[in-house]
Amino acid sequence: MHSGILYSLGQSLREILTSLIGVPILVDLLMTIICATILLLIMATSALVFTLGERKICAFIQVRIGPNRVGPGGLLQSVADMLKLMDKEDIVPRGIDKWLWVLSPILLLVPSALIYAFFPFDDGVILADVNVGLFLLIAITSQTVLPFLMGGYASNSKYSLIGGMRTVAQMLGYEVPMVFALMGIVMITGSLKMSAIVEAQSDVWFIVLQPLAFLIYIITALVESNRPPFNIVEGESEIIAGPFTEYTGMRWALFFLAEFSNLMCIGILTTTLFLGGWHGPDFLPGFCWFWIKTFLCVLFYQWVGWTFPRARVDSMLSFGWKVLLPIALINVLLTGVGIYVYNVM
Amino acid sequence: MAQTEKYVLNMGPQHPSTHGVLQVQVELDGENIVGAKPVMGYLHRGIEKLMESRTYVQCVPFTDRLDYVSAMNNNLGFCMAVEKLAGIEVPERAEYIRVICAELNRIASHHVFIGSLTNDLGSATGMIYAFRDREKILDLFNIICGARMTAHYIRIGGVAADAQDEFLRDTQKFIDYVPEMLDEYNKLFSGNEIFQARMKKTSIITKEMALKFGMSGPNIRASGVDYDIRKIDKYGAYGKFDFEVPLGKRGDNWDRYMIRMKEIAESAKIIQQALDNMPEGPYMAKVPKVLRPPKGDAYHRVENTRGELGFYIVSDGSTKPYRVHIRRPSFVNLQALDTMCKGMLLADAVTAFATIDPLMGEVDC
Amino acid sequence: MGTYFELDKLDLLKDQFDTAEYDAEQAEPALYIGKEQLLDLMRVLRETPTYSFDRMGMLTAVDYKEYIEMVYSLYSRRYDKWVTVKVKLDRDNPEVESMTQIWEGTNFEERETYDLMGVKFLHHPDLRRILMPDNYEAHPLRKDFVPLEPRIEGGVLTWHKQRSMS
Repeated sequence: MHSGILYSLGQSLREILTSLIGVPILVDLLMTIICATILLLIMATSALVFTLGERKICAFIQVRIGPNRVGPGGLLQSVADMLKLMDKEDIVPRGIDKWLWVLSPILLLVPSALIYAFFPFDDGVILADVNVGLFLLIAITSQTVLPFLMGGYASNSKYSLIGGMRTVAQMLGYEVPMVFALMGIVMITGSLKMSAIVEAQSDVWFIVLQPLAFLIYIITALVESNRPPFNIVEGESEIIAGPFTEYTGMRWALFFLAEFSNLMCIGILTTTLFLGGWHGPDFLPGFCWFWIKTFLCVLFYQWVGWTFPRARVDSMLSFGWKVLLPIALINVLLTGVGIYVYNVM
Repeated sequence: MAQTEKYVLNMGPQHPSTHGVLQVQVELDGENIVGAKPVMGYLHRGIEKLMESRTYVQCVPFTDRLDYVSAMNNNLGFCMAVEKLAGIEVPERAEYIRVICAELNRIASHHVFIGSLTNDLGSATGMIYAFRDREKILDLFNIICGARMTAHYIRIGGVAADAQDEFLRDTQKFIDYVPEMLDEYNKLFSGNEIFQARMKKTSIITKEMALKFGMSGPNIRASGVDYDIRKIDKYGAYGKFDFEVPLGKRGDNWDRYMIRMKEIAESAKIIQQALDNMPEGPYMAKVPKVLRPPKGDAYHRVENTRGELGFYIVSDGSTKPYRVHIRRPSFVNLQALDTMCKGMLLADAVTAFATIDPLMGEVDC
Repeated sequence: MGTYFELDKLDLLKDQFDTAEYDAEQAEPALYIGKEQLLDLMRVLRETPTYSFDRMGMLTAVDYKEYIEMVYSLYSRRYDKWVTVKVKLDRDNPEVESMTQIWEGTNFEERETYDLMGVKFLHHPDLRRILMPDNYEAHPLRKDFVPLEPRIEGGVLTWHKQRSMS
């Protein structure tokens, strides 16, 4: 049914486990644990790679050299950074709401780790190919708002609170157009299943069929992941670091990790939803194509981020409600008409 | 009906975009600014008092530390005031070199303005580009006097050392590079939609307000008031050069930015003319070893990068100034901050800090 | 900087204000005025169309040990003229009308003069210290200034007179 190295690897692993244990439920459980561990590892290492990548790319764009001292060509810089962050004093400010404050960075990591379960990395390689995959994805990603608001409120700092409030405002403003933009894809595919969405792109990628939705998606994705030019939640020149102004050391690093994981998520989502996922010419296996596309997407997002200044909060919100939402609705309408015409023909 | 409450947000003295140690108490209603009160003094070193216990020559390095991103202009202001007091004639070649240095420093200072502005607007890339080009000017200063920022190159009676051929040649190279540089800036940020949306029609200072607050420099010219002391007073060699004073129309952040971009081109024009007509001769007047200006007082003002920089010096006939007062443009300009921020959003406050371009070394003196 | 205010016009002002005087020997004489008439004089200088000194170039005070002298440097953009106005003040209790009533932009400069020289400006909208700490009790630019000693008392930075050197 499925082909590809990763799928066959998984299947042979399952066969080995079955022959060793024999109980199907236990085998399933073990497989899930193994897969989840691999995903978490991917997430953690990618954060390391992306930190370095981002700094190098940013340095290239800004006519600088970038990190070049730790390891060959600065390769170990992120490791050094991580060690430094772990070594830092854990400052707990006075007057905070302790529980919310401590929970906030941890809770932020949960949704960004959870969504990796729904990504089809290769043909048949998907941890949870549920029927409502896309729906769940959107639902989970929008949960990142709550930890931000929690951290902003609990920090007992005005900067944090402003940042937290901005998160809510921008979530409300951008979640709606994003969902409507993705509606077009769902209409064409006829399914919310992630594997089905990728399967539907085996001939034509959705970037061709849904150019408007693609444009809306990349804008809203930048907002969703707090990337510049829409990083108003952090807006370091205005409100220091927004919700994580009062966090230090590892707690701050968790926010940071979540941010990079989010960046990778939007790269993966763009690939999966619009760029054909793991589809590509045969000379490379599917997962290679998947990662190449993802990295190109991330590179694009970083490029945008390091070029533009930050948008102002009010113009950003009115842009979301007054420009993006109508376009998204028109896109839904056009898609419907298109599908009807296609079926009649 | 929801109940709302105003609150005060303390921006600074430790804040990423307050340009040093400016503290602004911003009164906010949600994210709308109701008032902005600048609090100063964190960098107060008592330069005016310190000068009273130094000889005139020893005073000059202090002026470097006032507006430390355009030190040459400050040197120029103080030296001209002392020269006026003591009646020293400066040789023509020195005047030309002074103009070249002052204008180069003006460009460098505008680089800092552009850099910090774009950084405050959230694009660190702009800052790096501006600082890359500023580095070229600092290297020029390194050639001419061995110092980069706090140059202490313009001395009472002339300049510290003659301009070498290497300096003149490299300056020419830089001037040739200026149009290309401005073009790059325009491509990178002036033409950017977000950049324009954030700058245009925000923090407007009308002509009347600018005059009322006694503003000066690019800030008042952005409001459309033709007030450039280089043109009015024609001090030093400035009367010999042909240049325009760019004026704004609306007095918003965009005008304040564009004025400075245009001023870079005008400064380059002045430097070009000075390079072309550089006279030969001594670079230093005959200044007595122990300078004792006659009893009396003198006020001299120059067009600093940030506006009207004036030195009021009182001499009691001894080797040390009896009293020095410095009229610092950023200090006076800062009075407009409240008006500029009122009714704007928090994000605009940062832009307003940036475009009013205060330098805390100068504000706090 | 432009040219100095014409002497005949200074004469006119001298006739108009009985406390006004200037040293005709000097090339660019400062106009001295009694502190009671300062505000009126400034109004005249600013509002008379033939003078129209619309810009307060500089404002400061000098401590001459016997008295404190306020120095105002005015500039007329229309005629490209400038004039210096000086007022002698009592050193123990220096008080003068605030120029913010005519030029609003002198606010900070007057606050600075108050802070560093101790000149009280009457009718100033917001006369507080601007550069020195709020609880500092000396005026540094006075000639007899002795730096105060900083001490932390109850977690608050306070300033105290130095104990004598001996």
